[in-house]
Amino acid sequence: MSKENQLLEEITGTEYKYGFSSDIETETAPKGLDEGTVRFISNKKNEPEWMLELRLKAFRYWLTLEEPRHWAHIEYPRIDFQDIIYYAAPKKNKELKSLDEVDPELLATFAKLGISLEEQKRLSGVQSTIAVDAVIDSVSVKTTFKETLAEKGIIFCSFSEAVQEHPELIKQYMGSVVPYTDNYYAALNAAVFSDGSFCYIPKGVRCPMELSTYFRINTSGTGQFERTLIVADEGAYVSYLEGCTAPMRDENQLHAAVVEIITHKDAEVKYSTVQNWYPGDKEGKGGIYNFVTKRGICLGDNSKISWTQVETGSAITWKYPSVILKGNNSVGAFYSVAVTNNKQQADTGTKMIHLGRNTRSTIISKGISAGFSNNSYRGLVRIAKGATNARNHSQCDSLLMGDKCGAHTFPYIEIKDKTAIVEHEATTSKIGEDQIFYCNQRGIETEKAVALIVNGYCKEVLNQLPMEFAVEAQKLLAISLEGSVG
Amino acid sequence: MNTSTTIAEKITPGAVLLPELDVLQTTLAGNEQIRFIRRKALKSFRLQGLPERKNEEYKYSPVAALFRTGRSFPASTHSLTRNDLTPFLVPGMDAFLITIIDGKLSRELSDELKGTPALQLHDLASLEETPSAVFQKHFGADALITADPFIALNTAAFRDVVFIQVPNNARIEKPIHILNIVTAEGAELVNPRILIQVGRNSAIQVIENFIAIGKAEQTLCNALTEIRVGSGSTMLFYKIQDHCKNLSLISTTQVYQDEQSHFDTHTVSLSGNWIRNNLTIVADAEQCETHLNGLFILNNHQHVDNHTLVDHRKPNCESNQLYRGILDDKSTGVFNGKIYVRPDAQKTNAYQSSKNMLLSDDAGMNTKPQLEIYADDVKCSHGSSTGQLDEDALFYLRARGIGADSARALLMFAFTRDVINTIRIEALRTQVEELIEKRLTH
Amino acid sequence: MLTIKNLKAGIADKEILKGFNLSVKPGEVHAIMGPNGSGKSTLANVLAGKPEYTVTDGEVLFAGKDLLDLSPEDRAREGLFLAFQYPVEIPGVSNINFLKTAIAEIRQYKGLPPMEAKDFLKLVKEKQALVELQVTLANRSVNEGFSGGEKKRNEIFQMAVLEPALAILDETDSGLDIDALRIVANGVNKLRSDNRSFIVITHYQRLLEYIVPDFVHVMYEGRIVKSGTKELALELEEKGYDWIKKELSQQVEA
Repeated sequence: MSKENQLLEEITGTEYKYGFSSDIETETAPKGLDEGTVRFISNKKNEPEWMLELRLKAFRYWLTLEEPRHWAHIEYPRIDFQDIIYYAAPKKNKELKSLDEVDPELLATFAKLGISLEEQKRLSGVQSTIAVDAVIDSVSVKTTFKETLAEKGIIFCSFSEAVQEHPELIKQYMGSVVPYTDNYYAALNAAVFSDGSFCYIPKGVRCPMELSTYFRINTSGTGQFERTLIVADEGAYVSYLEGCTAPMRDENQLHAAVVEIITHKDAEVKYSTVQNWYPGDKEGKGGIYNFVTKRGICLGDNSKISWTQVETGSAITWKYPSVILKGNNSVGAFYSVAVTNNKQQADTGTKMIHLGRNTRSTIISKGISAGFSNNSYRGLVRIAKGATNARNHSQCDSLLMGDKCGAHTFPYIEIKDKTAIVEHEATTSKIGEDQIFYCNQRGIETEKAVALIVNGYCKEVLNQLPMEFAVEAQKLLAISLEGSVG
Repeated sequence: MNTSTTIAEKITPGAVLLPELDVLQTTLAGNEQIRFIRRKALKSFRLQGLPERKNEEYKYSPVAALFRTGRSFPASTHSLTRNDLTPFLVPGMDAFLITIIDGKLSRELSDELKGTPALQLHDLASLEETPSAVFQKHFGADALITADPFIALNTAAFRDVVFIQVPNNARIEKPIHILNIVTAEGAELVNPRILIQVGRNSAIQVIENFIAIGKAEQTLCNALTEIRVGSGSTMLFYKIQDHCKNLSLISTTQVYQDEQSHFDTHTVSLSGNWIRNNLTIVADAEQCETHLNGLFILNNHQHVDNHTLVDHRKPNCESNQLYRGILDDKSTGVFNGKIYVRPDAQKTNAYQSSKNMLLSDDAGMNTKPQLEIYADDVKCSHGSSTGQLDEDALFYLRARGIGADSARALLMFAFTRDVINTIRIEALRTQVEELIEKRLTH
Repeated sequence: MLTIKNLKAGIADKEILKGFNLSVKPGEVHAIMGPNGSGKSTLANVLAGKPEYTVTDGEVLFAGKDLLDLSPEDRAREGLFLAFQYPVEIPGVSNINFLKTAIAEIRQYKGLPPMEAKDFLKLVKEKQALVELQVTLANRSVNEGFSGGEKKRNEIFQMAVLEPALAILDETDSGLDIDALRIVANGVNKLRSDNRSFIVITHYQRLLEYIVPDFVHVMYEGRIVKSGTKELALELEEKGYDWIKKELSQQVEA
């Protein structure tokens, strides 16, 4: 066996670190999906009538749609939507008053994932504090630092709670960026979404800490359909982090989330994701189908939205975090690292829709394919007529490791305004043997050299992540690609 | 019969053609093999229908508008003479002239290639007399009827085939100049068909002009050219779309390259109402080299879609795509280029560059440069940019006393330079330069 | 320190080193000169363990160990340093991070505790001054955007930081102007010590004016054909490599 193959063998042997499942008492809806299921979920959440109506409307619309199967560069068997549990929640008997009342198994689960649900400030100082909304299966189990944030007028709570406590905001913003008619999975999500996070930053407030949602699928046979809604009012700023893991199971589990971001005048939202859902085993058995719709709208002038994602998990990833640049001088960005290994498939990218004047967008996508995987960048840059002086720069690089994988680039560039300047560049390459040898000659072994080179290759993207996340992401990259050589 | 009607109903826009096609097939010339090929193609066209809006390959060039009404298939006789062709020739270029009128080879308006024993020119009539094994083997072998409905349509409806055969070890100095003339005036559909087979270690230069003599406002030309470049051979192929104002044109070129062959092509689109250029290269052996160049300068409501696919199947090949477009008024352009590298095609070097300039508020450009890579030891890249004239450069020129209009023309001309410079037939290059200059200063 | 016996090696079935012998003692500086294609760079790469080269015969002992048995990184960890003729660019990997990783790995191999961050930075600063390398290493990627001279100085700087037992300088002088050459040579001279040896590979005598060797070897067609002291380099400069070739053919005839 050649050295290269040996090393490839080693990566395929790398274990998924978060593959344990926890024995938490869970309440689930019966398998399958009909109006009854939608009503069941709504009822469980004690939702007002308007929300139920909205769900039903979305559900009825969903019934008219066909499962999208052809345009993305991914392959998988048809999903049996009647074989999914649409609601699973850790049992609780009463409202939780303090952390002490949370199921210790659940706390242990999050501790094992490295997520602290305790509000103690870290020794390193206040800046690095993160407020967490922890979502397990279908529901939010705990949101930390709520009170601290409330002092500044920031609302950070579970989506269910927001429906109860802030119905006017939900009514105003939910579905305003991703309407249920947007696509198949957006319609499904609007019908059966169970929980998620809601965040509102009032006028002129800079959120003093990173906000974060941690998603965990635990129960077998369930789908996770969460919704996140972030609204930054005039001049507000927030940095938002999202992390995800799931147990190792032979079955494929569906995750179909919707994230909406709205920024008003002069506001800025940074959204970072480290997606590490269970990717399936090396034969491609099991793993999460990650079919997610994420979109933000720069509604006000001078507002900014940036998406940063490090995608290492999921059997299939299908997501295109997008920005609609409506306000004049608004700025959109998409920074992505997508790693696929074994039999993983990723079809991911972004859409930058320029509507306002002097709008700018940046796309940096780094794809890394190893094993038998397929990794595609698919992106749209659209400059509408009248969007004068729009600028876009896109850079899409692919790195191939081994000769059994595929790396693809499918950009769509649509320009209807002559003042636009749009540049797109893409490259495909492998790690240079001379680079590895150079590292070897300085005493660095090949595995480390690959990790070093890959991290260097992804640097522009990793630099966009908040410190804590960047470290995590770097480790994750090293684990995902341990020992691989191109 | 019932089933075919149902299928026909499903493909509403294309369906209007089907009754006509059925009749047409009974009237066209050709031996049993040719008739069989046509029948099979019609069946395939029936099944495929015309590309619908959702079809990714036709996303930016919907075809429905071309098929709102029925179309007839010309069986015309013409009264053109050699003198009528003078405006379409390249001044100062000595070439073999081949004239195709409404899809049929015109022997009287074509030069005898017989003086050059190496070259052979056939049409369906001569193939009837002297059947060719090479023709039988290669005709329709590369342009697969299932790959695109317009390939199926052409194959179902071609009147004639122009077959040019270049034997082994033949270096043909004199270019072959093909005039593909459409005389039709109304809602006709013309289906010219060419097969060029180049043997081993040969060299050939071909120029193909698309010409519409009539008003042609409603006319659609669906041309298909198949090219096979034998091992060690070089072919230069220039497609010039200039004298075809108002014409709607689908021009498909399907190229197959054998070992160590060289294929170098230019597609220059200056006139025409609606043009779709399909250019597919299959590099099916090692050490092939391919250069695809394209230039379009559009105004009014013109639409040009350059659709390329370079299919790298074997190791150590190189391809290079270079496209430039200038769009004015309400014109729209498309560049949809794909580099496909199969698992076997290690050490492929494939590049793609598409640059476009928008001159008016109403022009639009859609670009889809794609890479689909299944081999790891490759170097592939694409770059694409769309923008305006460089204002700083414009100012610089004006500050040196050059008038705004000439400065603009100068810069645009410079923008097209990369493509024009690589035209290797000098007389043709001069002609194209003049045409471009004329376009840019008016 | 280093003993090479009858080393035969090549690339893709082409034998380049055809029975190479050399012995280097601690503290010695050996210059290897020779015309293009004589196998000088192959020697450097084979000693460092570049994967595409195959060794077909012979043995190399380095600090008592069979060098050819070691992986490239272990050779480096044992104290063999190659200053590359064409230093490689590694985009996105900062010089500092690169060196930190290298030092950590080498120290771990030697069973030493990790170096304290402040000691490391002090070391870097000190060695940077040695080669007058003014670039901000923390921000810039390994060799990326470096001028030719900066790349070569960066090699010597890395050598200074890693403190090898044996350094092989592969045409470090190529592409350097006289000022840069002097800086590089100064750096090397400051690193000369009783327990550190050098193999200086060069085409020209020029470099040897600054780095004065103890021995000069002339390499031709994959082996050493003539050895001497620094005067040999001068003689070569004067008479050219054709002189050696002629002398050799005469020997063959005789």
